[in-house]
Amino acid sequence: MAISFTERVSVAPDVLFRVLGEEGVLVNLTTGRYLGLDMVGTRMWNVLTNATSIQAAYEELLQEYEVEPARLRADVAEFIDQLLGQKLIETGPVSDEGRQSA
Amino acid sequence: MAVETAMSSAWRRDVGGAPRYRYCVYGVVVVSDIPLALPEYSNGSLGYVELIDAPASVFLAALDSAGIDPRSDSWYRYASLHDGSTYVRWDNVGQFLVARDGRRITCHKFENASSESFQVYLLGQALSFALVKQRLEPLHATAVVVNDEAVAFLGNNAFGKSTLAAYFLEAGHRLLTDDLLVLQECSDRILAYPGPPRIKLFPRIASRFLGRTVHPVTLNTETDKLILPLDEQRVSATPVALKRIYSLAVPREACRRPDVSIETLSPREAFMELVRGAFNRRLVSPLRLERQLDAMTKLTELISIKKLSYPRTIARLDDVRRMVLADLDPAVEKGAQRWPSPSQSA
Repeated sequence: MAISFTERVSVAPDVLFRVLGEEGVLVNLTTGRYLGLDMVGTRMWNVLTNATSIQAAYEELLQEYEVEPARLRADVAEFIDQLLGQKLIETGPVSDEGRQSA
Repeated sequence: MAVETAMSSAWRRDVGGAPRYRYCVYGVVVVSDIPLALPEYSNGSLGYVELIDAPASVFLAALDSAGIDPRSDSWYRYASLHDGSTYVRWDNVGQFLVARDGRRITCHKFENASSESFQVYLLGQALSFALVKQRLEPLHATAVVVNDEAVAFLGNNAFGKSTLAAYFLEAGHRLLTDDLLVLQECSDRILAYPGPPRIKLFPRIASRFLGRTVHPVTLNTETDKLILPLDEQRVSATPVALKRIYSLAVPREACRRPDVSIETLSPREAFMELVRGAFNRRLVSPLRLERQLDAMTKLTELISIKKLSYPRTIARLDDVRRMVLADLDPAVEKGAQRWPSPSQSA
């Protein structure tokens, strides 16, 4: 699925996240499926679900990690694709507030 | 949760009614129509379950409007009934109705089942529904007592939990519980509660470790496993603080390498092992999942959880026990450890 970086990510309804040290776990209360996130996955989750857009999250992660931009873009897109596939997140247009701060 | 008053005897007789036997298992008060192979009631604060013996017609009526879950396999049947109660049945053993609030189990032993076999399913799989409905989160684990603390072996059926525990028993340690482990947080530590005083073993293991002292009964017609009652010298009748959980590696994977190894798991890995080791995975309401998420998170924070891999041969059980004892010793450096195989150390 093609991911538009102009959209934003939000946590899907009935999904809970808990931090375990520097890692995290997610559970979808509707499907009953758990997902564990390693340190990088946990950081990506936190940045993506708090950023005003996927593009803003990508730029924040690019500042934080030593990584080729194209590689990071591909990894972010793949990560979002996986989370969408497990109904852990939803994507949608950025809010007015997000548009102003972008 | 209501706590019953302690009684001097395991049973009392209601005025004009059937005998009511009173026990405590997994920290839960059990009041029963039928006598059970459990210690007398002493103290139970985690929950309350009433066991009622009923004829087969009661179950037929309850199932009248409900379908059996299509996932049920050939000899295990499951149905979630409209009133929130749960029906479970094992062919050649018995059938059980667990009330919506988990405080009552109506049960019926099939004619050809032994009392011992019936009680294993009643106090294991059937009771686990009552425990979860009473907001407990039992684990699929067997636990022994080492230096007055509980050490649990977590794993699915046929992972070797009971065999490993039997080796610890043979070495003089006591059994806390076999197969179902109930835990409860208490003042920043986790208490592990005693289960029924018996262990289930294959005949070869039973005769090797416990055959001299017990009179086994076959678990059911589908397996060779035996139920071995244990005397009070071999079990712990009181809750003990949980020291460690060892998640047993899948036997097929562990057999690929000859070493015994203990690997520290990251909190995320530990959490996922605990979820996989939940005893009852049938009840998956959002409320249960949220509670499970919080309980497993807390357990991960308070208890060290490690992966234990070893070849499933009797000859290596002593290495496993020694490795576990060394790992439990605070003086031993923590982290991944490897026990050399005999061929490597020779």
